[in-house]
Amino acid sequence: MQLFLQNLINALQWGSFYALIALGYSMVYGILMLFNFAHGDIFMVGAYIGFGVATGLTALAAMGTLALPNWVILVLTILISMFLTSFVGMLVERIGYRPLREAPRASAAITGLMIGIILETGNLAILGAERIRFPSLIKSTTYDLGGVFVTNKKIMIVVVSLVLMLALNEFIRRTRWGMAMRAMAFDYVVIPLMGVPLNTIASLTFALGSGLAAAAGIMFAIAYPVLDPYIGIIYGWKAFVAAILGGRGSVKGACLAGFLLGFIEIFVGAYMPSSVRDLIAYSIILLILVFRPHGFFGEPHSAKLRL
Amino acid sequence: MVEKNSASPGNPPKRFLRLRQFLGDVPLLAWLFGGLISVLIEQQVGERLANLLGLPKIPVLFGFMLAMKEPLLLPGALAYVLVLYILTIVLIGKITARPFNLMAAKMIQWPIAIPVILHLVVLYAIMHFWADISLYRELTLKLTLIAIMLTLSLNIINGYMGEFSCSHPGFMSLGAYGASAVMVLFFVNDRLFGDAILPEVLGPFLFPLALILGGIVAALGALLIAIPSFKTRGDYLAIISLAFMFIVKSLFENLQFLGGARGLKGQPDLANLPTVFIWLVICVWVINNFVRSTMGKALNAVRDDELAAEAMTVNTRRTKMVAFLFAAFWAGVAGGLFAHTVRFINPNTFGVQRLAEILAMVYFGGLNSVYGSIVGAVSLNLLGEMLRPLALFKWIIIPLLLILIMIYRPTGLVAFKEFDVRKLIQPKRKPEKEV
Amino acid sequence: MPLLQVENMTHYFGGLRAVHNFNLEIEPGQIRALIGPNGAGKTTIFNLMTGIYTPTEGRIILDGQNIVGLQPHSVASRGLGRTFQNLCLWRHMTVLEHVMMARYSRLTYGLVGAFFGTALRNREEAASKAKAMELLDLMDIAHLADQTVTNLPYGAQRRVEMARALASEPKILFLDEPTVGMTPEELDQMLGIIRTLHRDLGLAIYLIEHRLKIVMELCERIQTLVFGEVIAEGTPEEIQKNPKVIEAYLGKEAVH
Repeated sequence: MQLFLQNLINALQWGSFYALIALGYSMVYGILMLFNFAHGDIFMVGAYIGFGVATGLTALAAMGTLALPNWVILVLTILISMFLTSFVGMLVERIGYRPLREAPRASAAITGLMIGIILETGNLAILGAERIRFPSLIKSTTYDLGGVFVTNKKIMIVVVSLVLMLALNEFIRRTRWGMAMRAMAFDYVVIPLMGVPLNTIASLTFALGSGLAAAAGIMFAIAYPVLDPYIGIIYGWKAFVAAILGGRGSVKGACLAGFLLGFIEIFVGAYMPSSVRDLIAYSIILLILVFRPHGFFGEPHSAKLRL
Repeated sequence: MVEKNSASPGNPPKRFLRLRQFLGDVPLLAWLFGGLISVLIEQQVGERLANLLGLPKIPVLFGFMLAMKEPLLLPGALAYVLVLYILTIVLIGKITARPFNLMAAKMIQWPIAIPVILHLVVLYAIMHFWADISLYRELTLKLTLIAIMLTLSLNIINGYMGEFSCSHPGFMSLGAYGASAVMVLFFVNDRLFGDAILPEVLGPFLFPLALILGGIVAALGALLIAIPSFKTRGDYLAIISLAFMFIVKSLFENLQFLGGARGLKGQPDLANLPTVFIWLVICVWVINNFVRSTMGKALNAVRDDELAAEAMTVNTRRTKMVAFLFAAFWAGVAGGLFAHTVRFINPNTFGVQRLAEILAMVYFGGLNSVYGSIVGAVSLNLLGEMLRPLALFKWIIIPLLLILIMIYRPTGLVAFKEFDVRKLIQPKRKPEKEV
Repeated sequence: MPLLQVENMTHYFGGLRAVHNFNLEIEPGQIRALIGPNGAGKTTIFNLMTGIYTPTEGRIILDGQNIVGLQPHSVASRGLGRTFQNLCLWRHMTVLEHVMMARYSRLTYGLVGAFFGTALRNREEAASKAKAMELLDLMDIAHLADQTVTNLPYGAQRRVEMARALASEPKILFLDEPTVGMTPEELDQMLGIIRTLHRDLGLAIYLIEHRLKIVMELCERIQTLVFGEVIAEGTPEEIQKNPKVIEAYLGKEAVH
């Protein structure tokens, strides 16, 4: 039981990462009907921007120019990085997707894939192949809850993720922009004719998704402070599959599927050799998709690739 | 063949028109003959010419690599390419245009197989003498030919059928492991499979069977995806096939009797240039036959309007399944050839990176087109090799190039062009003045 | 025995009743029409009979065989050809390819022929091409054979669709609003084509229209569909006088 609870907590943490990344995929897919294959790398870029901001702020604090307590630095890092990464996302949309709005959707997927490669390589070219260490902003404290050990980091990660997810949900459900996004997801051919600016909504979608990915990146870096340029590929593709599993454009679905993926991975890892983790995780997802072709909360739709 | 500038069908610039005017009457056979002469000259005097131009050795890939390592050698390399390839081929092509046109006019009357085989023999001779210069050239050439097979087979699904499949690396690995396992089991003293069972002499005879077996394994894998996928329309196949690719990859990582994550090595060296060439010819021939038949064109009908296809008696589900399995088969064969060319495979060879590569070749060259697949595979492969000295920046330049192509020609360079052998080899006449 | 017989066909979309108790008999060589205001369910009836939807209840008998539950392509290859209201052409294919495609189910060369280009395949493809050219001639568009359909004017596209539907050699042809969106001139030509098919080829034709005038000229018997139910059936004259039809088309006031 203790082992189970311990794993449960780990699974929640991993689920948070996956869910946050999956949201970005899911929103772009839901609203613009595009596979944003660059999103995994935006997560990676987010983590690196977070690294830059955190290092900068810690250095300032150490020099005494801007003596902020660590928790303030953390909050600032998350906020600033989310903000900056949103611009990366918007840039990706502007360069890779907007010129291809009339083109077949598959071509846009290819540009996305290529932008992802450029982001990875660019990172390698700028920072080199060495892994970098994320500055430790919170001192790790472990609480013993009856044999189950929980660190404050894990609690923070799960709580912040949940807060972000709820905030996104509220944004989409309650604000005017959110309503425009939902309308666009419903029909992205007709709705722009009704005066909803397609380009603005597309930018907004990419910005929101990228912001969440940046948050995921920073929290990933807090939990596992060693970064390399390939984290985007490793976790991004899994999150992509999770996003689709959740159902087209469903916030609930993407979160649920993200957490499910986290659970599968942790529990497989706990009871079986870790090399079969991917095998089982993907097989389960495949099986679910065979029986629920539109994912958890998706509705049947039949958009063919426009060729 | 380098300068056979088939300018874009839209509105070619004036310069191209003049070039077309000048070279329009040169038949394919004359081009090939020019190429053959040029590679023969290179074999005889290439070394000396290179020295004369101040180059340390024959430029392996059109002088790009040399020039990038030592920019000062660039003029020499350019001169080499210009003299040896471009000038020779154009000159000989132009001079021999008339006799070869007469010959082509005669040959077109014969059964089509005879002139086609003649062209292929000359083409192979060119490749043979070109690759003879260095092992590196031979390897690059073989990998390029295999890449054509992969690209063409993926084009069936992503181009002709208009679905988005991501599982090609998976099929490739199924074929590669299938063929390798058979060959290593029978012919190699191996740690995993024990001693060789059959004498080595039989290797070349069993190799085609092993490749076909690899293809069949891949097709069976494809069946697993096809059954659920083609019930639902839309983007379903993209996701299922992506998951499938990851599943196959981690499956091989866990199959210890196939080497697990460390991989399988020591495949017998049977994929030589003629073997790869023959397989490629068969692959192009069969695929081109298929896509030009009404049964193959049914794929286009399914892509453009599935409902109308059904109403016009096309069994759409069967059509899609057949095409998908067919494509997977060829990916498997290509995988087997790949394994025996590089003679070492591990599961990581067949990951996301490979997927990006194959997709890039398909979309670069052009959808729904055999020409496109050949152009895409050849140009991206050669470009990749040429830019190798740039190391990392290669992976910035190629993606940028592809993004530009996607923006200006979203379906690729030579999309929707029928590959008609008869048209290709027929005698050529000067194009009209006002094209 | 009638060529096509539909008995008590009823269909629900979810809880919504789209078609109620629909009956139809078409004799060989007969030309009939289904009229009704927009949204009455006319196209749904076509889709039910051609196998795109499976009716909730009822039987559809084509040439003595029950075709309920068959895939659309099997229904089509059993002799039920159709055109679409909104021109479902294949945008990257040529006119000739369109017409040849409809002969798909008549090809017997199979995968071996498709992959290896056997003599049988060459023969069958050549025969198919000859037949297709014949039909293009009939439709007066033989000179457009190698054009991609998206380059053609609307009237020509309609003819391509017609030629395509004929290429599968149907026993009965369903035409879904064949004259919609046409200029008066194109409309006259289309009526001419339909008459030719009926008279010279002896095809049975079942036509959807919402313009009364056209069916009055062409058809022997007419059914009027409103909200998924047939409210009137008869000869053009009977339909024209039927107060229920006038009401459905013009509103209640017009009757009085």
